[in-house]
Amino acid sequence: MRNLLTITIFLWFCIPFFNAVAEKGNDHSKYVQHVEQGFAFMFQGSNQKAISEFEAALTLEPDQAEVLHYLGMAYTQEQFWNQAAESYQRSLALMPDNIEALYSLGVVYFRLDKWADAVPVLERVVELSPQHARGYEVLGKSFVKLRQYVAAVPVLTKALELKPQAAGTYYELGTAQLNLKEYTAAIENFKQALTFGPGRYAEPHYGLGTAYLRLGDREKSRAEMQIYQQLQKEYAEYERLTRLTHAEPKNLEAWTGLATVLMNQQNYGQAVQTFQRCIELAPNNADFHHGLSRAFMNLNYPKHAAQAAKRAVQLRPNEAILYNTLGSTYAMQGDQKNALIAFQKAVELDSEQPYYHLNLSKLYRSLGNQKLAQEHYRAYEHFLSLQKSKQK
Amino acid sequence: MNTFYLSRNQNRNSPINIGITSKRGFKPLQQWCFGNSPLSIMARYLSILLFGLALCVYVEAAEEMILIPAGTFTMGSDTRAADEKPKHKVYLDAYYIGKYEVTNAEYYEFWKQQTDAARTPENFTHLPEIGDWHARAEQFPNHPVVGVSWHDANAYAAWKGMRLPTEAEWEKAARGYTDRVWPWGNAVEPYANTAAEDDGYQNRLAPVGSFPKGKSYYGVMDMAGNVWEWTADWYSDVYYGYSSQAAAKRPKMNPTGPDVGSWRVIRGGSWIDKIARCSTTFRFYFYPNLKTSFVGFRLAKTAEKRKK
Repeated sequence: MRNLLTITIFLWFCIPFFNAVAEKGNDHSKYVQHVEQGFAFMFQGSNQKAISEFEAALTLEPDQAEVLHYLGMAYTQEQFWNQAAESYQRSLALMPDNIEALYSLGVVYFRLDKWADAVPVLERVVELSPQHARGYEVLGKSFVKLRQYVAAVPVLTKALELKPQAAGTYYELGTAQLNLKEYTAAIENFKQALTFGPGRYAEPHYGLGTAYLRLGDREKSRAEMQIYQQLQKEYAEYERLTRLTHAEPKNLEAWTGLATVLMNQQNYGQAVQTFQRCIELAPNNADFHHGLSRAFMNLNYPKHAAQAAKRAVQLRPNEAILYNTLGSTYAMQGDQKNALIAFQKAVELDSEQPYYHLNLSKLYRSLGNQKLAQEHYRAYEHFLSLQKSKQK
Repeated sequence: MNTFYLSRNQNRNSPINIGITSKRGFKPLQQWCFGNSPLSIMARYLSILLFGLALCVYVEAAEEMILIPAGTFTMGSDTRAADEKPKHKVYLDAYYIGKYEVTNAEYYEFWKQQTDAARTPENFTHLPEIGDWHARAEQFPNHPVVGVSWHDANAYAAWKGMRLPTEAEWEKAARGYTDRVWPWGNAVEPYANTAAEDDGYQNRLAPVGSFPKGKSYYGVMDMAGNVWEWTADWYSDVYYGYSSQAAAKRPKMNPTGPDVGSWRVIRGGSWIDKIARCSTTFRFYFYPNLKTSFVGFRLAKTAEKRKK
């Protein structure tokens, strides 16, 4: 009887302990759930939601260095630089020599214009991982920002050794050399930046203009500066429209303008998204479907392009250019039969457009009908010369 | 000296009519081997049983690992993500790779023998279709094991006398020598368990081998979707670039990844990913300590070189 009483009393005192253990287990389950959902959101590009999940997880288990790093990465994606820096710092307090967390912190310092803080962090990155191209790249850029050009040159050269087609790194190297009065080397690197850079990369033209000017070649300098100004204007328009579409997400005119700018910039990936947004706002506008089709064609997605072109034709069945685009999408897929029907329809609706004849001529040639191929080629030449004389 | 011929006994009543004919006449094989005592008969049947068992085990083992022959293949891509560039030639010695990812049942056998609690897979009580470790080991023995870190995967592989595949080995097994975008070919097909709704496994794992049409050129299953797979290599976004430069004129030989890093490479995409992330060239990275419901692994083993 006395033993039973002892056991009962013992168990009574154990209850808080059991509860604590159970709660801890429960908390860990919740932690796992938040982390998993954080990753799922992050992979889908929903960084705001990922941030909420990772923060919730870290409330339950605050010393998870890896999760702190992922939280920082999500903040970085959202350009919340200060929060990102804090997350990385907390992560590094737990794992001081974590190469990627150090690199991430270096990038955030760079973004926050804290170049002097970025330098030692990134130097540690390349010390720990001597093949870390991104580390060299941002370290070199930090040196350029700090006007330490002599230090920047070997670091950027090493970055290019590891990552030879990095346009931005060539540009930074060119800038460092320009400031060191190594004009010929700078010109070479600005040219490389243009070779590997995106279609409308403006800054290297400015660098080239300056370098040519310093070398006394005024003509070349002026030409480069003109290109730079033109691209800057385009970019300013792109920036303006991007801001406008963010501020007014239902402003169809702004979205249309942005789509046009993106097509001119040959930024077809973003153009697809923009045309899709236009279609959401105005589903029955054939021009948007047509634009979407052209953007898909440039990205080499002929099936998607055909689908969009078909919709455009449905909406505006008497417009020659839409049939011409539809025909091109079929031709890209090797569907010569439907391509022929579409091109014929385009010529039928507008027989004076030279390029419709040219497409038809090419198609007839590939079908082996030389007679009709020649006939349409002659029509192409005829209408092209007419068009030119009108322009004169 | 007797001359022996392997021949068929003319007496059809004999249970085994294969024997050896000598100058002394025909003698059935069992008499040559054991004689006719009850003990010898028992031994005979036991040996047949054991032989059959050994054969089954051998056949099963042979089926679970696929031999990827030595040779060169194309790794990476010039048209997709930046870290897949450049497309380059890689030579690999012959190796074996798991036909399937390691399953719950297989990992359970390893786990039972572990004294280190760290080797226990993570519980996912919020995902009833995956569940906690004990439940899923029992209910879903053929699902790929998840909730295991890179270290767990490595320990399991060592326990089996094998290893994790290198990133290059993984890609060759998935891609074959014909540069396939997905293991089955270049067209988007519902032949993998991804986040898409048309694959029959929405928001859950599929048992290994559920998509036979999704097998790779070499017959390796589930190399797209279901679970990401740990590889042996550290991740570096520029590794292809600098590792292939020296090999511009000849293929890189048996690459094993960078010497240092923070993340290990994972490959193949998973049930929470879009099909684009499940391509044969898509590279992703993960902290080796993390245990999630979407990362598992498969085994690899170096094939012994033939003696010349």
